[in-house]
Amino acid sequence: MSISEMNFLQRMLYILEQYSGSLAKGAATTMVIAIVCTALGCVIGFAVGIVQTLEPRKKDNIAYKIILKVIKLLLTAYVELFRGTPMMLQAAFIYYGASQVFGLNLGMWQAAILIVSINTGAYMAETVRGGILSVDIGQTEGAKAIGMNHFQTMLSVILPQALRNIMPQIGNNLIINIKDTCVLSIIGTVELFFTFKSISGALYTYFEAATVILIIYFILTFVSSRILLAWENRMDGPVNFDLATTDTLAFTSGMMRFPRKAKRRK
Amino acid sequence: MSEILSIEHLSKRFGENEVLKDINFQVRPGDVTSIIGASGSGKSTLLRCINLLESATSGKILFHGQNILSDHVNEAKYRAKVGMVFQSFNLFNNHTVLSNCMVGQIKVLKKPKEEAYDAALLYLDKVGMTSHINAKPHQLSGGQKQRVAIARALAMQPEILLFDEPTSALDPEMVGEVLDVMKALAKEGTTMLVVTHEMAFARDVSNHVVYMYDGKIEEEGEPKNLFSRPKSPQLKEFLSRFTSDTTRQDS
Repeated sequence: MSISEMNFLQRMLYILEQYSGSLAKGAATTMVIAIVCTALGCVIGFAVGIVQTLEPRKKDNIAYKIILKVIKLLLTAYVELFRGTPMMLQAAFIYYGASQVFGLNLGMWQAAILIVSINTGAYMAETVRGGILSVDIGQTEGAKAIGMNHFQTMLSVILPQALRNIMPQIGNNLIINIKDTCVLSIIGTVELFFTFKSISGALYTYFEAATVILIIYFILTFVSSRILLAWENRMDGPVNFDLATTDTLAFTSGMMRFPRKAKRRK
Repeated sequence: MSEILSIEHLSKRFGENEVLKDINFQVRPGDVTSIIGASGSGKSTLLRCINLLESATSGKILFHGQNILSDHVNEAKYRAKVGMVFQSFNLFNNHTVLSNCMVGQIKVLKKPKEEAYDAALLYLDKVGMTSHINAKPHQLSGGQKQRVAIARALAMQPEILLFDEPTSALDPEMVGEVLDVMKALAKEGTTMLVVTHEMAFARDVSNHVVYMYDGKIEEEGEPKNLFSRPKSPQLKEFLSRFTSDTTRQDS
């Protein structure tokens, strides 16, 4: 049976059968780029967000204040530029610019990861800033009051809570990245959308190819969002807690022993 | 120079608004000082200035004779020696009760984990919260949170403990449990500086009372004299409003 004699469903099955290899490879590429770039974007976002929330104190010296101001200005420029222009053009700009101006030929992976992470980082910077602001000021004061410095306060108290608060937004970014990697086909990254173009180009079955690949995209994003939701719940910890006791006679369900050598005290 | 803390000519303004005007007083080791006064009289701001959560506009805060408002003082090191208990508890929401009491010891005092654990349990035992070491702050009642907050401050072994209206955010039936802990601490000789609306506590537990009015110290002295023979008309009026309240707590 030639492809022109098949019905809609048969064509879709034919595509899945014939191109299973390249579909799987395309999906894998898409996922690797999306996950790696979301993670790197988070790192960039946290770094930028932390610097943006640094407030110089009155008694800090003038050089520190000026340097901080300049760095903040540069970071704001970065965020505004990369949020404010299409990623597709950024990809072309960086990929072709690197080879033309610096004579640097970026590989497919390097270019893809560089562009998507920088772009995600720009969005994450604002997300992280929002996350830090969402943590009650009392938490900072509580940490300062027991003598923690800015770095310790951030690392032990504020950022873990900020991270929890921005988890939904990180999930958003991951899903956006899964879909938006398709713009990388402009610089020849062989991801899922690139696979669509080659399949539809080879078979002239645009509708069927689009349906198959839409479904694959949806499965990828849906599974990702469920996994992230489960992860969020795990971050919240158990809803209940066990009372600790040293009295073994009162040891019933819902009780636990002290973790270590607490007996000595009784 | 036996004072732990000596406040000299301290003033603080928020823009045009002068909230603290020329504050002077001393805290000696073992003192339990209560700061009383109407809302907006500057009590909390004074306490926050002492802990450097607000920066004073002028004046000196001497800690063992050293002015901690000068530029070359390490704020974090000073704060580790001055415990603070907040009205809104401010327990770390991402830590359990136990690790709330350990994290400061480990990160700031660089104590080994075992030592921090022992100290945390010791002070949690003092406030009667050992059984809840695995709970997160949001699983506790207000009174329990405040007791954990006191244990967290104590675990740093501070030289002086500041209380910023520790019972104001609590339901009436939980006020007692927190005050009992504070009374026990006072009895042990802990140096305390307490901003409070609990007149019974100020009168019966503290050995020095400071009355603030409109950003100034209007009157100070021994609680017996201050409560039975107030000199300034403002304090007289302030106390008369609390009379019914204190008799209730006496009975």
